[in-house]
Amino acid sequence: MMRDATNQLQPETQPGIATAEGGLVFLDGPDGVATTMTPEAAAGTGRSLIDAAATAECQQATAIV
Amino acid sequence: MFTERFLRDKRGASLEANERARIEAAITEVKTFGPRKIVARAGEPLTNSTLLLEGIMSRYLDDRNGLRQLVAIHFPGDFLDLHAFPLKVLDHDVATLTTATVATVPHAEIEAIAEEMPQLIRKLWFATLLDAAIHRAWLFRLGRLDATGRVAHFLCETNARLFSAGLSDGRRFALALTQADLAEICGLTTVHVNRVMRQLREEQLCLFRSSLVEILDPAGLAARGQFNPAYLYIADDSQLPSVQRQR
Repeated sequence: MMRDATNQLQPETQPGIATAEGGLVFLDGPDGVATTMTPEAAAGTGRSLIDAAATAECQQATAIV
Repeated sequence: MFTERFLRDKRGASLEANERARIEAAITEVKTFGPRKIVARAGEPLTNSTLLLEGIMSRYLDDRNGLRQLVAIHFPGDFLDLHAFPLKVLDHDVATLTTATVATVPHAEIEAIAEEMPQLIRKLWFATLLDAAIHRAWLFRLGRLDATGRVAHFLCETNARLFSAGLSDGRRFALALTQADLAEICGLTTVHVNRVMRQLREEQLCLFRSSLVEILDPAGLAARGQFNPAYLYIADDSQLPSVQRQR
């Protein structure tokens, strides 16, 4: 039997872990995430993630109120 | 004999002697291509299908920047563009990865087989459905697995396919692919593949050097790649490592 869709494709609650090796940044997991970035691209992605996370937190706070 | 590996050890679909003889009789030409040669291009009208006898071939798509995604890999015994019989054109290119020897079967011969031996046509149909099952597994691999899992799954699958074709002892097999090929199969960068191969070696799961793969811990590698060989329809897959899928 196919599992209930509510059990699947939920937002990830565990952070991805990035590692540096040979002058590149690797992000493995969770699930299907597997990417290699230059330091510049990784730093830019990191900043974008932090900004988006702050915006999302504000959205959640607004929704609760 | 050209067809000894075709549908070898496949559940309910292995060829009878007369069926094998009919396909052998349908072969009009045997050709060898050098490595990295395009054998069929997307959109080109095709009048033949190709049985791979030796070597490794691929089906692939290029993105708009020319970056390649390998969407299928074929090993000896695969009837790799049987789809072209009903479709008449392919939606992807077909190329050799290594030096490859192929047998050509004209579509007119397949048409004749359909008239003469419907049970054999069902087995050719089985072969294309097997390709579809492998495509589904590749979608699962790219959609759900991390980098190490993708490579582990591919190596387990390749071991199982080659075992079925009589080209792996269940743990060791020749695989003349580069890390760039693995990257294009697994949707990773070459450096990422290099790192994954080192991880697999350090974790004592698998060695891949000098075009030879040795699976050190079959159960561990299958677990890492969430690999279950059921989709390969191998007659006796009890010797192959597997994980149980969640029901």
